[in-house]
Amino acid sequence: MSELLTGDGRTHVNSGLMRESLVSKKLIAETDKKEVRRMVPDVNMVSIGGQSIMDRGRDAILPIVDEIAKLKESHKMVVGVGGGARARHTLSIGLGLGLPIGGLARIVGGVEENNRDILQFLLAPHGGITFVKDHFQDLQLFLNNGMIPICIGQPPYHFWEPPSIEGGRLPDNGPDVGLFLMAEVIGVESVIYVKDVDGIYTDNPKKNPEAKFLAEVSAKELLEGDYPDLPVERELLRTLENARTIKSIRVINGLEAGNLQAALEGKPVGTLVYSSRYEK
Amino acid sequence: MKKDGKIWIAGIENELHGETLSSVSLRESLGKRESIKVLPEVWVVKIGGQSIMDRGAEAVLPILEELVEAKKEGVNFILCTGGGTRARHVYSLGLDLDLPTGMLARLGASIPVQNARMLQLLMAKHGGIMAYDEEFEKLPFFINSGCIPITTGMPPNEFWEKSSAEGIIPANRTDAGVYLLGEFLGAKGVLYIKDEDGLYTDDPKKDPDAEFIAETTATELIENGQDDLIVERVVIEYMQRAENIKEIQIVNGTKRGNIKAAFNGGHVGTIIRA
Repeated sequence: MSELLTGDGRTHVNSGLMRESLVSKKLIAETDKKEVRRMVPDVNMVSIGGQSIMDRGRDAILPIVDEIAKLKESHKMVVGVGGGARARHTLSIGLGLGLPIGGLARIVGGVEENNRDILQFLLAPHGGITFVKDHFQDLQLFLNNGMIPICIGQPPYHFWEPPSIEGGRLPDNGPDVGLFLMAEVIGVESVIYVKDVDGIYTDNPKKNPEAKFLAEVSAKELLEGDYPDLPVERELLRTLENARTIKSIRVINGLEAGNLQAALEGKPVGTLVYSSRYEK
Repeated sequence: MKKDGKIWIAGIENELHGETLSSVSLRESLGKRESIKVLPEVWVVKIGGQSIMDRGAEAVLPILEELVEAKKEGVNFILCTGGGTRARHVYSLGLDLDLPTGMLARLGASIPVQNARMLQLLMAKHGGIMAYDEEFEKLPFFINSGCIPITTGMPPNEFWEKSSAEGIIPANRTDAGVYLLGEFLGAKGVLYIKDEDGLYTDDPKKDPDAEFIAETTATELIENGQDDLIVERVVIEYMQRAENIKEIQIVNGTKRGNIKAAFNGGHVGTIIRA
């Protein structure tokens, strides 16, 4: 039982952090943990790209939907989705209107909800259901009933989106980060980003034919080296470097059949990005 | 209609169209725009959890009196609360169970809401109302009708709070939430009401030799490696790249007159500048 302490004008609960400012570096270091507990470790987070997959329409979406439906029998999945062209249009109009970064972050998720609803509709025969923030703790109810929870990626920082580390007026935190963070708390088995390129290259392969493919790379290297363009958010890499339950992510080409299955089975497909905090 | 294999309609193209949003040159090209101020005449004020709320009536009631006086004199503010001792207790419990940072942030979010609700009950007769984050687009209505919006200082991150490089306790707590709210609103200022005169070279409650710092910069605080601070470390990091709130003040609310002086532009505590 906790003991109540008084005497300095405040009522404290006698806990390890009693009277601490929680800002002290020494104290923070003492609370460090290399690993933390996982909530539902046998799940996989599958992120479907907005621009790379959804904007392509039926040619790209339907084969992925079929693959997810088939793989559902052998793998538990949470499916997340980004915004794509409409997210970019939202940001562009918002920037032109002079909206602050927190305002952009508040509105941009709206178009991801379109994509989530589309995926839910298409996956409904196979158990696709919408998975929203307030039902995060109902995850097991959905999974144990054979459902495929489908969510948006944009994290709910909304007006509280921090000023950008990368400079510029765009929010650093987008759907890649949001889905990763859900995956981190769930403590998933794997995080797979389904895009329209084979993985990560030294530059954007659609614009630079000299760009070289990377089969494995650390997030730290991608952040510190000369990589002018990436198919994932840079904040995802910073977030991965500090993560405690997830040590790597995979970026795969969803336009090629079989890649998602290979990734779920842990086979070397696409690019593996690992956190330099851990041994590979 | 499709173009380059993607759904295309006239008007969808813009400077971000087809871009990854991770392009360094694209981001840099967007850097120079200014943004609008959302509520530039409103202060964002935080009442400390451990420093004020946990001291009970003796500390809380005179501060609320002073805030009501300021309101009557025409100062508009949003009142935010810290968590304090109960937040520390639940973090200790969470740490003991090896819970992840996102889960601790979720747990820590409940306590400042309790404190906000306490303040709302005390302030109701003066127009105190709860303003939940889902209702923030109604803030102009609340303020224009003479109310005092009261809310949690915690940002809505919860399960989406990131793990830190070191330590498991969430880096973004109520100081950060209050700062980011002020920054988003382009507020008149961000004021932290605590039980110390401001920032010291160490925690003055533990180190009697700690010296008072009347004025400093975020850069200095980051560079001098000081172990303890009176505001969450992320706040001074955010300040360095913020657009609006380039200065915050931390005042001792237990000394009558400090809060109103700060609203009037007075330097009565510690001022941290970007």
